[in-house]
Amino acid sequence: MLSVLQKTTRSVQAVRGVHQSASQVLKHRPHEETVTASFGRFINEVKPQHLSPVVLQRSKRMVLDSIGVGLIGSTTDVFELALQHCQHMYAADYISSVYGRSGVRLSPTLAAFVNGVATHSMDFDDTWHPATHPSGAVLPAVLALSDMMPASRKPSGLDFLLAFNVGIEIQGRLMRFSNEACNIPKRFHPPTVVGPMGSAAACARLLSLDPSQCSHALAIAASLAGAPMANAATQSKPLHIGNASRLGLEAALLASRGLEASPLVLDAVAGVAGFNAFYEDYVPQSLDSPNDGHAFLLEEQDMGFKRFPAHLGMHWVADAAASVHKLLVGVGPGKFWSDQVQDILLRVPRSKYINRPFPESEHEARHSFQFNACSALLDGEVTVQSFTPWAMSRPELHALLNRVRLEHPHDNPANFNQMYGEVQVTLVGGDILKGRCDTFYGHWRNPLTSESLRKKFRSNAELVLPSEKIERLIETVEKLEKFEDCNNLLSQLH
Amino acid sequence: MISENGEPDSPQPDAARSVSASAMFCAPLCAAAGGSVEVPLTGSLLMKPGLTMCVCARPYRASGLSWGITESFGAGIHALRSSQLTDVVINRSKRMMLDTLGVGLLGTRTDVFQKALRYSQHFTSEYRSSIWGRSEITLPPYYAAFVNGIAVHSMDFDDTWHPATHPSGAVLPALLALAETLPSRPSGLDLLLAFNVGIEVQGRLMRFSKEAYNIPERFHPPSVAGVMGSAAASAKLLGLSPSQCSHALAIAASSAGAPLANAATQTKPLHIGNAARRGLEAAQLAAMGLEGNQAILDMNRGLGVYYNDYSPSAMPDCATNAFKWILEDQDVAFKRIPAHLAMHWLVDAALSARAKLQETIFDLSQIQRVTLRVPPSKYINCPLPTTEHQARHSFQFNACSALMDNSVTVASFDQDQINRPALKELLSKVEIETPADNQPSFDNMYCEVQIETAQGESCTARCNTFYGHWRKPLSQEDLVEKFSLNASSVLSAEGVEGVIDVVGNIEKVSECSVLGSYLRMNSNAHQQVYGMRTI
Repeated sequence: MLSVLQKTTRSVQAVRGVHQSASQVLKHRPHEETVTASFGRFINEVKPQHLSPVVLQRSKRMVLDSIGVGLIGSTTDVFELALQHCQHMYAADYISSVYGRSGVRLSPTLAAFVNGVATHSMDFDDTWHPATHPSGAVLPAVLALSDMMPASRKPSGLDFLLAFNVGIEIQGRLMRFSNEACNIPKRFHPPTVVGPMGSAAACARLLSLDPSQCSHALAIAASLAGAPMANAATQSKPLHIGNASRLGLEAALLASRGLEASPLVLDAVAGVAGFNAFYEDYVPQSLDSPNDGHAFLLEEQDMGFKRFPAHLGMHWVADAAASVHKLLVGVGPGKFWSDQVQDILLRVPRSKYINRPFPESEHEARHSFQFNACSALLDGEVTVQSFTPWAMSRPELHALLNRVRLEHPHDNPANFNQMYGEVQVTLVGGDILKGRCDTFYGHWRNPLTSESLRKKFRSNAELVLPSEKIERLIETVEKLEKFEDCNNLLSQLH
Repeated sequence: MISENGEPDSPQPDAARSVSASAMFCAPLCAAAGGSVEVPLTGSLLMKPGLTMCVCARPYRASGLSWGITESFGAGIHALRSSQLTDVVINRSKRMMLDTLGVGLLGTRTDVFQKALRYSQHFTSEYRSSIWGRSEITLPPYYAAFVNGIAVHSMDFDDTWHPATHPSGAVLPALLALAETLPSRPSGLDLLLAFNVGIEVQGRLMRFSKEAYNIPERFHPPSVAGVMGSAAASAKLLGLSPSQCSHALAIAASSAGAPLANAATQTKPLHIGNAARRGLEAAQLAAMGLEGNQAILDMNRGLGVYYNDYSPSAMPDCATNAFKWILEDQDVAFKRIPAHLAMHWLVDAALSARAKLQETIFDLSQIQRVTLRVPPSKYINCPLPTTEHQARHSFQFNACSALMDNSVTVASFDQDQINRPALKELLSKVEIETPADNQPSFDNMYCEVQIETAQGESCTARCNTFYGHWRKPLSQEDLVEKFSLNASSVLSAEGVEGVIDVVGNIEKVSECSVLGSYLRMNSNAHQQVYGMRTI
């Protein structure tokens, strides 16, 4: 096993050596190659040795976190609904496993669907920059497809991680085709746009499709992409990730059967929209061959992991409000009363769909600056329990919600790389307490330690799995690239 | 105010309009549900046996309060009754059903249908829906809707409406797949009503954008309007409550939108198949209680994301006799050749130009230049098509086929016809012009073909309205002829006659499933007579 890892490390270094001469190599590429073809070629050509140690490490953290939020997500209403729907509408098909359900297996695309729904059911999954939730669209599809592959052709742990990374990389590359996409979205929910593409790319890699089939898989997926932001904060939003995962897998399977689609889907062709239909400022770039010193984006841009199940923007205000809570409890009689508070001012970016003064459902609460700030003010933190009906209906919380005002300072853009959260509480006596968060713990600039990540995983998984299984899963994911067969992982998800 | 389900941060959503609800609205709504608030759905697709489903899930607004647009659609889908179908609407929608079945039957012989079918056969279900023209196969309802929808659009032979979309292919396959699985055994009239609801909703949505009146550039319209129409029609056949109907539309909106780049590829037929499948799925998820944004149609970041100039308006009160169907005023176009609608103007113009020239002499080798004056639309401007799908979207190919063969037929798009060297030679002489007065709209466009010969002769012909266009509708005889030719490539004579008879009398048929039994009457030997015939 050790020798495999050493070999991998050496090859990666060899590849990196090529990096300096990448511009020369570029000249040898066919001049007329389209952007779409370059993506197909990349997916086909990329090999495990192109994954650097940093990329391997970061992607394994994503896999662990994504499984954890999927496991806790398998306890939600919306997951239950999605699973019942699949079991009711289709005959039993004992192929692909379902998070947290040992007796249940589904057709691969349906398993990808329900596991994707589970992953995003609480908005607890990872967030990247530019803004999307990358893992939930990819991991369930890769798991479902791996389950589908015959024992003789089961992917190794390294093949599995390569496919996963291809799915992440393609999403990152596509997100960089638009400047708009760097900001918190307004029109299309990004995981529905880049998610099916990532899932299709990962599955095409795992199926070892040829370059042209890989680009057809992307083009077929593009026709299944795109859902409006208006369904955020409803039960339909988790479906976005479930469908991204399912439909990307479907696109790859259809491409493997020879189905064809536009060879120019990623290229900007005036008058005939391809993938640019989803953007207003689209400038596509060819993808370098993995042999031309291509570095994975994950190498430079790490991932944001959430500490509590809500929209990423909530983490800044929650941390700022928690620091005010500390001050309040410090100066006061040791307990904090909501009637001490006269006014709560939140300075946050302008983003309509996460500005909800009085959320009525858990889904709305997960998308409410006001709710998350007040919960943290009251409790000193926001947790999974903050979104239970009991916690949401507390009169003292509503007393605080009634006192919230919002300001959108010009220096606070709706962008996860630049935004901040500021909470200013004016007490009845006139005292003013302030808290500010520029980078919450879990953000890519201040990543969760592996201890914190494991702690999050354990607390998510323990609702569903026995503790010995949880520890085995942690160990399996940490050594995933060393397994000759990814069954070690597949067999432990329920 | 939109509703308590609207967004608290935006009491007036981006593009909100309000209409006042009259007190009259409420009573007929409940009456339409059979006077009862509970409809048993024992053993149906949706519920476990013994459960009932509340039809009037929410109290209706009292007079004086305003309605959201999405809410008005939910209420409208729920409220529309078969007694509101007029003779014109019944007649026109029956023509659409017959034509859709015909092109779908013929479409089961295409390569893209075969690929989609093989993929879909991985799925099984205790609910079984038929595949048109395939007595031996059943699929789960979603996948039956998917493959039959693909069949309908596989040759681009299905109907086209104004504003531009293919309305029937997303709706009929979903309804027939669903109807087969419902224990309530819907009647022909139930089917016809649900079909018209699906068409009506598409027509209303298409009118929310001025851009949508033109030949599209960004999203393929059936992938946007179609999935909403399928959801609306399915919700109607399932008898969902007004609120569930709105949720079905909201869920469907998250399944909408496919870029136009996949036109002229095998993936374009999937757009219709997916619209049918995913609309049906949205209605069934809504029936299970899944929720989406109840203001999805009201907002720019709702259905508005698919348009640059979104301006929604409420559905008029559907419970009164004043309600008027869009189909009443705007008929659909039926195609005579399996190609993009715009090709029909061009083929008619090319045939006239050829006829004029033939009065003197007609010798292909003498043609020096062919000029096509067409509206600007990039995706149907394809100088050298290599696949059937490209050929169906090529002004140049259709003009040259017409000039060479004196007709364009189903067989014109066979690969060996596309590959003819003489055709390629002629294609090299084609020039495209896009005059400023020729707008990319199926209601205003024209096509002109000018042929110039080596001898200096020149003749020009123009088509303003082709036969089959809504201004010049196919006669009933020709419509039935088209159906018979299409259907007899797959069905036995008994099947062909049976479908014509059932669709012709659909409003009197007690169980619409009888249609399915004729659609499964395969002929033993595929007949090849069709290929060269023209209508």
